[in-house]
Amino acid sequence: MDSLITAAARALATGDPLGALKRVALRDDPPALALRGIAMAQLGDLARAKSLLKNAGRAFGPREAVARARCVVAEAEIALVSRDLSWPEKALDTARATLEKHRDWVNAAHASNLKVRRLLLVGRLDEAERALGEIDPAPLPPAARAAYELVVAGIAIRRLRTKAARAALARAEHAAHEADIPALAAEVESASLVLGSPAARLIARDAAHPLLLEEVETLLASEALVVDACRHVVRGGSATVSLATRPVLFTLARALGEAWPGDVPRGVLVARAFRAKHADESHRARLRVEIGRLRAELGTLAEVVATKRGFALAPRTGEVVVLAPPVEGRHAALLALLFDGEAWSSSALAIALGSSPRTVQRALEVLVAAGKVQCFGRGRARRWMSPPVPAFPTVLLLPGPLPGD
Amino acid sequence: MKHAQAEILREYGPFEGADNVHGVTFDGEHVWFASGDKLNAFDPASGDTVRAIDVAAHAGTAFDGRHLYQIAEDRIQKIDPRTGRVLSTIPAPGNGGDSGLAWAEGTLWVGQHRGRKIHQIDPETGAVLRTIESNRIVTGVTWIDGELWHGTWEGDESEVRRVDPETGKVLEALDMPAGMGVSGLESDGGDRFFCGGGKSGKVRAVRRPR
Repeated sequence: MDSLITAAARALATGDPLGALKRVALRDDPPALALRGIAMAQLGDLARAKSLLKNAGRAFGPREAVARARCVVAEAEIALVSRDLSWPEKALDTARATLEKHRDWVNAAHASNLKVRRLLLVGRLDEAERALGEIDPAPLPPAARAAYELVVAGIAIRRLRTKAARAALARAEHAAHEADIPALAAEVESASLVLGSPAARLIARDAAHPLLLEEVETLLASEALVVDACRHVVRGGSATVSLATRPVLFTLARALGEAWPGDVPRGVLVARAFRAKHADESHRARLRVEIGRLRAELGTLAEVVATKRGFALAPRTGEVVVLAPPVEGRHAALLALLFDGEAWSSSALAIALGSSPRTVQRALEVLVAAGKVQCFGRGRARRWMSPPVPAFPTVLLLPGPLPGD
Repeated sequence: MKHAQAEILREYGPFEGADNVHGVTFDGEHVWFASGDKLNAFDPASGDTVRAIDVAAHAGTAFDGRHLYQIAEDRIQKIDPRTGRVLSTIPAPGNGGDSGLAWAEGTLWVGQHRGRKIHQIDPETGAVLRTIESNRIVTGVTWIDGELWHGTWEGDESEVRRVDPETGKVLEALDMPAGMGVSGLESDGGDRFFCGGGKSGKVRAVRRPR
């Protein structure tokens, strides 16, 4: 490697992209192009970074397969961060195989890490967990280790395993500190905030208070009967009844859950479930039918008992609470579904909410404009999800795609 | 052209606090190598590190009998090995694309990495006296008994090769084993070359053919 490339790579490794650029700004040889690309990516100019790395990859000679593979990995990372999921997954696999063949274990592991992040992004949690299990984090240098631990934390958070998430974030913090890259440490810190901010609201006996993710986990592991308005299910012990496709039944269950141990007057139930101002005889008849259906759905979890003025929930064991998203309001149901961390298609959301695909589409567009929802993919492959999940460092942790080192 | 496998006699390192070897030189007693922000010296008999100088050290290293020369960014620094002080600097001929450095008969020889060139320069002014073209990426450069040798390392392929100092024609080449590259080169004045191993953090002694 030549002198200025070495100096620039050292600057980059210590989180000084401007220092790196200063040294190679005017050079167009392949290692310089690659370094400029990585520096631009770290500075946030992803479009410029992408074209520089593409040019670098093309310019490396036929003997420099490793350098070219590293450029591909860097390009893949930029694509991931810019949510360009049309970027060929296969190219990343090929690059990783090349790196493994040439014993570049660190960058090969980085490529694997990117693959897991991509799976996490598209909501393929099971596959992400499997792929994560194939990475050995031991030989990773601190910066790559921090990125790895952020992915571990991201999966744990989506799986509601807060203890594991906390441990992974602590390891990420340690690694970021060791890497001595301030922006990376800040990234870990902001990821850790998720665990300290309210993830949901608990509504019990008509009063609400915010819950941390950890408390949600504890609640779901408890004996309580949880009417979960985030996922539109009712849980008790290990049993779960999904009402995601039965919005009227869920509304009734929630109203009953909020009032427990009290009852809810028929008029209130009719108003909430059917959005009717006054309950007439036909509404009362329909309510009886829906309550009958709810009774059948809840089965062994709880009894729905008739009272003088309406209905009440009688759980088999424990108390009844309602778990609601932290914020409710217009499109809140949509947000609540998306908050499960999975990648939803708009048609799946429409089914869950019982509304037309067009209505869901319009709502999603409003939410995207407000920055509350993210989407990726095009046409039928388009998916939607809520954004506040770590594991996607905005600080790129690209390996040095340099030859002969 | 003679072609042979390089014979590795011994491996030194990796050394504590130096994960990269850029330039290598020999002062008759100790082997010096550049590791980015330091020049490190070790005893080739024991392999023990004997001292280090804090100085920017990004590529080639040379020794003229009294001073160390060290490429940093796009300059060549002249260093007093006793005090570690930088006495003077001259511009490097490759504008920072410089890799190897060697001292011979009153002049400095500088490898230009991707430029695939070796420049002979005036050690006082940095003026280029002569340029030899190579057909491979040039890493380390060294002179021994009137022979000019340089390292080359492209991807997975690395050689130590002897070239004609007039024409640049390759006269002899030693292939490094797979996975071992030559980032810096120096002869010990006898039967050995000291070869920097780049990111491996090692320095290898390679037998010089007779």
